[in-house]
Amino acid sequence: MASHGIPRSSTTEPKTEQARLKEQEQIQEYTALVDLIDAKIAERQYTREVLDLTSKLLKKNPENYTIWNVRRRLLIHGLFSKQSDSSLPLTESQSFSPGATTTTSSANLSSSATTSWASKETLPNRASPIPGKNGTTHDLIKGDLDFIFPLMIEYPKCYWIWNYRLWLLDQAIDRLEVDVARELWSRELALVGKMLNRDSRNFHGWAYRRGVISQLESSKLHGRSMVESEFGYTTKMVKAHLSNFSAWHYRSKLIPRLLTERAASDLERYQFLNNEFELITNAIYADAYPYAQSVWFYYQFLMSTIVDEVGHAIITPNLTDEDRIEYATKQLVNLRDMLDGAEDCKWIYNALLEYTLALSRMQNRQPLEVDKEECRSWLAELRKLDPLRSGRWDDVEKSLKWLDVDSRFAPESGGPIEL
Amino acid sequence: MSLVTGPGRASISASSLPTELQLSIAAHVKYIQTLDKRKDELEYHLTEHLRINGIYWGLCALHLLGHPEALDRDQVVDFVLSCQHENGGFGAAPGHDAHLLYTVSAVQVLALCDAMETLDERGKGDRSSLPGSTSSESGILGVGRYLAGLQNRRTGTFAGDEWGEEDTRFLYAGMLALSLLNKLHLVDVDLAVDHIISCANFDGGYGASPGAESHAMQVLVCLAALSVLGRLDAVSDKEKLGVWLSERQVDGGGLNGRPEKLEDVCYSWWVAASLSIIGKLHWIDEEKLTRYILECQDPEQGGIADRPGDMVDVFHTHFGIAGLSLLGYPDLVQVDAA
Ligand SMILES: [Zn+2]
Repeated sequence: MASHGIPRSSTTEPKTEQARLKEQEQIQEYTALVDLIDAKIAERQYTREVLDLTSKLLKKNPENYTIWNVRRRLLIHGLFSKQSDSSLPLTESQSFSPGATTTTSSANLSSSATTSWASKETLPNRASPIPGKNGTTHDLIKGDLDFIFPLMIEYPKCYWIWNYRLWLLDQAIDRLEVDVARELWSRELALVGKMLNRDSRNFHGWAYRRGVISQLESSKLHGRSMVESEFGYTTKMVKAHLSNFSAWHYRSKLIPRLLTERAASDLERYQFLNNEFELITNAIYADAYPYAQSVWFYYQFLMSTIVDEVGHAIITPNLTDEDRIEYATKQLVNLRDMLDGAEDCKWIYNALLEYTLALSRMQNRQPLEVDKEECRSWLAELRKLDPLRSGRWDDVEKSLKWLDVDSRFAPESGGPIEL
Repeated sequence: MSLVTGPGRASISASSLPTELQLSIAAHVKYIQTLDKRKDELEYHLTEHLRINGIYWGLCALHLLGHPEALDRDQVVDFVLSCQHENGGFGAAPGHDAHLLYTVSAVQVLALCDAMETLDERGKGDRSSLPGSTSSESGILGVGRYLAGLQNRRTGTFAGDEWGEEDTRFLYAGMLALSLLNKLHLVDVDLAVDHIISCANFDGGYGASPGAESHAMQVLVCLAALSVLGRLDAVSDKEKLGVWLSERQVDGGGLNGRPEKLEDVCYSWWVAASLSIIGKLHWIDEEKLTRYILECQDPEQGGIADRPGDMVDVFHTHFGIAGLSLLGYPDLVQVDAA
């Protein structure tokens, strides 16, 4: 229903009788399978057989979220608690699904018992986990993880699959010995690495990676910080694709923790900032990348740690005002150099304009006449190069005019001159 | 996305567009009407998990198109109520589990149909009245309690259902529905606002959770949640956010959701509505965006696709029409960005 990238068929020819019959057959097969699962669940048949039926259905349609939930219930109320693979239906504890009647719909198995987010922490059958590597629970979880993997490759944007997988891995933490659970979680890092190699911007993939790392770092899995290796991972990813904004973003989030854990001195922090600027400047100079917005957003992030007034100095918190002014001045020189051969790059003009005004703000003064002159010429370039955003340039122009009008008064920080 | 009067109309006149680029209102109405008559298509059955959202998208689009009567009101209300569970939540269709997203769609549809009182007459959930509340609104309370039960009282965000997936999408949807139900007092609003602030990124945008990359849809849900809660003051840097949002427009006029991704009609709504909330819709080329959305419609069969020439669906039809309404396209009912 929410289709993306599927071409509209050019003609609207009616389907052939054969195609129509085939489609009816597929519908029959699909709805019969849903009904069969509903009926078996209504009879509380929490068996391997029904689990396999849900696998069959999910391969046809992984978006059927209710079936993923059925699968969860099959595991926690049935299969996880079994000592051996008997095919007897399991009886269910009274606490589960109060008010459930004998209707054949799966609706009575839904969340009536627990709606709180915290409910996942009170699992039934917690008293008799089957620990160790050879237990049924371990085999079930591992088998299920293997079953899902091809589905994830085929449907990388399906939220339900990613969620189910995380839930399954959480079950491993709750039900298995730590080193066994940790081994399962470690495999996920390799898996998500593969997913991100296939599509280096996959939103779900990056979110999943952060989730996996946070569990691998947690005390539940006897973990420790992985910030160094994750930072290294972002370096690898941005070097492979300089416009991988997902990787630049992740990098920005890792840096504060990285420097804290390194117990970096002021000098080391200063060198770190220099290295980051060098990395991004080289990226800007590479091939067509002066025109790639990803690198400019990361450049903006680094500059914000220098020019923003409060709260953003996350890399070099102890730089003096003079140091910061000197740093920004140096970057303005670099930006002018970048224009050479890239006179049609709007991002450079935009940065020159923004940081020239920021510099005067840092120096607690109004922009000089020559600054304003240049800002106007850069603005003219921006208007020419980027007409789509002319409304934004109008607002910039207004703020420059406001500077003219107000230049007689004492300077203020912030206010309309911010871009 | 409630239907109240929104910000001022942009200056786009239909006559300035060539005839092949006019909104095919009649075709779109017809397209939405026939959505539920396609039971002989496999796709219909495979998309059952979106049935109640589909009704909301279709009905909302019909309201914007000025044809709210094109779907049978009683049938719609009956269907919505048939999706409700004993715990007060709604599933995507009968036989599907309750989930926050479907519950919110149900509330939105009932609001559009002006049928909220049917919850008190026929609704389910925990209807026991609280001291001070009237028993006549017990059905509404049942739904409100289901939604409020999904708030994480430690972090302020919301889970989608009992299995615990959390996302700022759920936070916004939950807050919107609770405000439509007039039950915001059941949740911790301040904690939710703090959570949104913790999802902000250096580029001014917001992600699905703290640490997640900015994404136009997540930006809109965070801004819209703050707007519903009357806390837009919590947006720290509207200039930076406006820059990031305006850079979503690509040369063809369409909008993408993240840097260097493909444009798509659904982002027309998420980006444009976000810009509108922070008062910077004029930072993109509105006329070019209007043309792009119109190029994505199927003028004969009705419906709007993600990109020109692609398969149409009710999701993009809704977001395309909502985008056009926001842009002030003539003959459409005005939409509210939040
Ligand atoms: Zn889309």
